[in-house]
Amino acid sequence: MRTALTQLRSAAWLGWQIDTNWADPFLFIIYAILRPLATGLILAGVWWAAGAHAPSRQVFAAVFLGNAFHNFVTWIVIGMGWTIVEEREDYETLKFLFTSPMGLYRALAGRALVKVVIAALGVVVVLAVGWFLLHVTWDWRAVRWPQLSLTLLLGTIAALSAGSLVAGFGLMLPRAAILINDGLAVALYLLCGVIFPIDLLPRALQDVALALPFTLWYEALRRFILGAGASARIGAWSDGALLGALTLSTLVFAAIGRAGYVALETRARQLGRLDQTTTF
Amino acid sequence: MSTAPVGATLPGVAGEPRWRRDLALNLRATVARAYVRVIGSLREPTWVMLDAVFPNVGMCAFVLLYRALGAPREFEAVAVLGGILSTYWLNVLWGMGAQLFWEKQQGQLQLYFVAPCSRMAILTGMAIGGALMTTVRSIVGIALGLWVFHIHVAPVGLAELLGIFALTMIALYTVGMTLASLFLFFGREAWHLCNACTEPVYFLSGMYFPIRALGALGVAAAALIPLGLGVDAMRQALLGPGAHALLPLRLEVAALAAFGLLFFALARVALERLETLSKREGKLTQRSG
Repeated sequence: MRTALTQLRSAAWLGWQIDTNWADPFLFIIYAILRPLATGLILAGVWWAAGAHAPSRQVFAAVFLGNAFHNFVTWIVIGMGWTIVEEREDYETLKFLFTSPMGLYRALAGRALVKVVIAALGVVVVLAVGWFLLHVTWDWRAVRWPQLSLTLLLGTIAALSAGSLVAGFGLMLPRAAILINDGLAVALYLLCGVIFPIDLLPRALQDVALALPFTLWYEALRRFILGAGASARIGAWSDGALLGALTLSTLVFAAIGRAGYVALETRARQLGRLDQTTTF
Repeated sequence: MSTAPVGATLPGVAGEPRWRRDLALNLRATVARAYVRVIGSLREPTWVMLDAVFPNVGMCAFVLLYRALGAPREFEAVAVLGGILSTYWLNVLWGMGAQLFWEKQQGQLQLYFVAPCSRMAILTGMAIGGALMTTVRSIVGIALGLWVFHIHVAPVGLAELLGIFALTMIALYTVGMTLASLFLFFGREAWHLCNACTEPVYFLSGMYFPIRALGALGVAAAALIPLGLGVDAMRQALLGPGAHALLPLRLEVAALAAFGLLFFALARVALERLETLSKREGKLTQRSG
């Protein structure tokens, strides 16, 4: 256990160095918050242009909140996929991580921890900008902290699990790795109802969306912070049912993520693809 | 013995003026680079997905957002047009701006510099090829807009529309040429700069909403980045009053033409200066991996 923690700490430190050493810390922090902040401001632009037609301001708050927390998914899920691409293509160090005592999976986990911290920073900044500049506010006394804490924990586990799977596919399919990363980022943005209620999707896609923990995660975050979600379909569920579904979905994702990563890494090794560069 | 000045004529092509020889050479280089851009991108099917499909997925999310807000249908058309033009911006950033950075990473950049043609001819070829391929791929977005979201466009003169589109492309791709010159000096920062220039530029250009909603900030941003004016002008041409335009169309067209000239000149100066600087600092062929 102690060894594992030491290795995780080393991997996290290495990840921090790799992710941030191209700029001074201040510039890096600006870079880390720039994209989620700009996406939030795009939503504000949409609201300024067409908000007069909206039934209530609550709609914008729900959209803004979902978008802010999507930063977790972008940084962790897609970030873990990009870690494989960078290590293999840019630095050509994937094979060294693989043969190091900590192994590739633990190295990935350590790198992911850094991304969790950076993502959390982005979420806090975006929410603060929303609160002070865009009046996306809520009643702190009405926030359901125990449920919210559980939701945050489950969402982070789901993101790490999905990230493992994406990393596994990145190992197995070097030529398609960038496609998978970018494709998943936009697919999750659309499918999980980050900036609109999933009720607007075609029925078949709604069912797919409901099987993804992130859809339930955004709705749970909205419900436990703002007091109401965005989707009428999920809104009919009780708190217990929503948390139960989120827990189940996350556990399934965690199992698939771990087993899937191991299987994909093994297969990639068998096929000699672990350090196969594409010069993309 | 010939008395003609050195370089005035091409050896073996007696009497041909140098300017004509240079023009022919640079035109050939432009066509060759455009050819590589077109053929190269066709050879990698995954890039078709990246360029043609993914930007439109984001566009769909914004159309659904407008539906969630109960906004009039014209706003959906605003988002669709923005989504289609975002494909070009991504191509400008990653296909133009970062191109010399990729070449450096792959150890091919020196070939550009030992070639007898002008570097501007190479960049122009890259721009023409990139714009051509992105136009082919933007058909996916147009199809989505017309047949899935059923957006309505105003009857518009084809010549007027093509003229505005061409000016927008010239303004955008000359920005790309300038960025390519600037990125010559960068290492890993080039990658991060491209990332940082995506969503913030979408916001400042009113990609998914009428830029007029930004008020004074929109005007200031339009004065710096031609993308916003290009998107706004295209929306005006296609949607009429439903575009919720920032400035009169004639003014935007004139500004786009000025942007094209300005950034072309800027790219030329930047390329020369940064090439010299990169050589002096030893960064011209330095890989950043």
